[in-house]
Amino acid sequence: MPSASPFNGPGFDFTNQVRNAFILEKGIPLPKATSTGTTIVGCLFNGGVILGADTRATEGPIVADKNCEKIHYITESIRCCGAGTAADTEFTTASISSNMELHALSTGRQPRVVTAMTMLKQYLFRYQGHVGAALVLGGVDSTGSHLFTVAPHGSTDKLPYVTMGSGSLAAMAVFESYWKADMEREEAIALVTAAISAGIFNDLGSGSNVDVCVITAAHTEMLRNYSKPNERVEKERAYRFRPGTTAWKSEEIRKLVVSEQVTPIGGDAMDTD
Amino acid sequence: MPDMAALAHPQQRQFNPYSENGGTILAIAGADFSVIAGDTRQSEGYSIQTRYAPKVFRLTDRAVLAVNGFAADGNMFVKKVKQRLEWYRHAHAKDMPLRAIARLIQTMLYARRFFPYYVYNILGGIEEDGTGAVYSFDPVGSYEREACRAAGAASSLVQPFLDNQIYFKNQRPAAGTSHPAHLPLPTVLSIVIDSFTSATERHIEVGDGLEMYVVLAKGRTLQGLEGIRGMQELTATEDGERVFIVRRDLKRD
Amino acid sequence: MNTFVQRFAESSATKQILAGNASVVEDDDFSDAAWGSEAGFGSLAKGVPSFMIPSVPDPASFLRLHTDDHADPSCRIKIQHGTTTLAFRFQGGVIVAVDSRATAGSYVASGTVKKVIEINPYLLGTMAGGAADCQYWETYLGMHCRLHELRNRERISVSAASKYLSNLVYSYKGMGLSMGTMICGWDKTGPAVFYVDSDGTRLKGDLFSVGSGSTFAYGVLDQGYRWDLTDAEAQELGRRSIYAAGHRDAFSGNTCNLYHVKENGWEFIGNYDITSLHYDGPGNVAGSPGHGYGYELRVEGHSASNPPPEVAQAITAEA
Repeated sequence: MPSASPFNGPGFDFTNQVRNAFILEKGIPLPKATSTGTTIVGCLFNGGVILGADTRATEGPIVADKNCEKIHYITESIRCCGAGTAADTEFTTASISSNMELHALSTGRQPRVVTAMTMLKQYLFRYQGHVGAALVLGGVDSTGSHLFTVAPHGSTDKLPYVTMGSGSLAAMAVFESYWKADMEREEAIALVTAAISAGIFNDLGSGSNVDVCVITAAHTEMLRNYSKPNERVEKERAYRFRPGTTAWKSEEIRKLVVSEQVTPIGGDAMDTD
Repeated sequence: MPDMAALAHPQQRQFNPYSENGGTILAIAGADFSVIAGDTRQSEGYSIQTRYAPKVFRLTDRAVLAVNGFAADGNMFVKKVKQRLEWYRHAHAKDMPLRAIARLIQTMLYARRFFPYYVYNILGGIEEDGTGAVYSFDPVGSYEREACRAAGAASSLVQPFLDNQIYFKNQRPAAGTSHPAHLPLPTVLSIVIDSFTSATERHIEVGDGLEMYVVLAKGRTLQGLEGIRGMQELTATEDGERVFIVRRDLKRD
Repeated sequence: MNTFVQRFAESSATKQILAGNASVVEDDDFSDAAWGSEAGFGSLAKGVPSFMIPSVPDPASFLRLHTDDHADPSCRIKIQHGTTTLAFRFQGGVIVAVDSRATAGSYVASGTVKKVIEINPYLLGTMAGGAADCQYWETYLGMHCRLHELRNRERISVSAASKYLSNLVYSYKGMGLSMGTMICGWDKTGPAVFYVDSDGTRLKGDLFSVGSGSTFAYGVLDQGYRWDLTDAEAQELGRRSIYAAGHRDAFSGNTCNLYHVKENGWEFIGNYDITSLHYDGPGNVAGSPGHGYGYELRVEGHSASNPPPEVAQAITAEA
């Protein structure tokens, strides 16, 4: 049983673990974390790798964010899409991004995609799935273009096209129907967009817009909101409230702008023209 | 980590005939009309079962029933209500009055007190005195006449909005004025549409299509419905109340 | 024929339900009698209406599994609970006061519930526990009270009516009904209040309060109750007690419905918004204190611009 440590060691603090387990047993559920019940995909093409993601974040059945970013920066030519608990995907990718930068500085080389993948899987394995991050990792390095999935428990796959998240089946259906090897850039972007769109429309956990990221050896292009198939419709009525709509019991008005009169004494008055 | 000690014990499985199919319904009563609406998405978990499954049904020319919850129970329940209304027509050569339908629904729901229909019902229409009415029910049949009611997945999003816009809750009228007791039909339809577009934006189980039924009291003109696009009349009898349906698209994501 | 046999073969309603279950496997919550004008409660000649029961070894625990949000907040069918109701007998009759909030879990399902059930012009029932159980069985009780009048050429006593209800719900004991009700009226014996609940309890008394907010209501009620209260004082006490419960109990609130049962039947006194009671009081009605029940009391003297009276006086005296 972990006890409160006299040190503030690095990493996670487990001091409330026993208490929370007890509370849970009493029938009070833990607060719900924002999850990105998500569609994320990746696909290799002849010049590099393309990642795609939808932009809906949910808390249970409620849409928490209609346009969030799920393609995270690892290095300039390595990016990572996250599904699962929003906080976990964000912090895991940020910490791996940080370590990758340090690694690049200490080795004096551009870091490889496998390095990021190894760091991610070792980190996630250590926490036995409690860090709920399901990732699609893609990038280009000195050894070529690579695409991986990393599951929350730490297992990885290396495939030419991958999907993850609650919309992974819908997206994979598109890949399985239309994917072919050595696609051109435009063709691959269209396929990734179609796969994400399948998730957006057929999976309730995914929605809103399509984000695409095209990574080639020379250049990484983040196409934020590449497609916006779900623009907000205009409301029928304007909901404006007359000042004084809310009832109040007492009123106190304070002057926030204090006016000050300045009287110049002697000498030349400052020229204020 | 899975609890191995718990897995070693025999696991009890429970008979569960219920499911939850999402969606939202609402109804608003006016002075001499009633609007009853529902979205058309039917889902289970994160999957859409169909984008068009009606949740709102015309019962008679003056009564419309919206059903939400477990779709299988809901459809069977509507079928049985319609059957009872048909029998009533054969026995009495007239349509059952709205308040009688409300009581019928109570007894039909309560007959399943120990094996409930997992459905939230909202009945809307025109009362015998020509006023618009909305009755809302819980799954075992307690009911109440109200001016407006939202039920279903996004009810906790829509109901506070209706409380504010229909009952003017938390809105103080300007000095020397008072809030109107009833809103005009075009305003009500706009509020219904906005309720559903908003619920669609923020609730994952709401979307695809919107069906709004409008019931007009006997002798009421179509005044206020001129600008409504794609309205379709469903009235079966002449010189009585009239029923219309208006459809709108909702976002499909 | 089947119903005929059943009606005479069984005594306990529970047994009847279980037996009835065999006959309703195919369908049906109604017999072919529903064909005619007997929609709704159907013919009373059939006795207690029959209920469909799930085909499981223990129907009561099946029901609990799917409806008891207390044990499992994620259960699917939320039955409305949470209430404050009160009734008391005094020199001038019976005062019945209730709140109007219905909650399903932490959601306020309705703020306009009628928790006083008007059984007939002389009898009132209150609603606490399952809303449907109270509504249905008290309506059903009303029909039997009318039959009693037709058969015996006199009104049913409050005692008999409450006992009818008590016996009825007792026959369903353990099946999951939930009601806590007060049957109030005026009969040959004068004003009468009976407490009846789904466990089978039936109590005659002068003063009852039922529901999650009852402790708050009792607090006000007990300190203000006397037999020789005037009508105005009694009505004010009922209103003030429901206000106290609505103010302190999260599961009670919205509005207060007030009834007064007199010799010639009950009278609806009024509907009072609990927030308005807090700030402004009940308005121009009998027994009104002429100010809000709570607000001024609590904020007075908390700012320099609103000092308590004695301080204000001292300040003026100093000047």
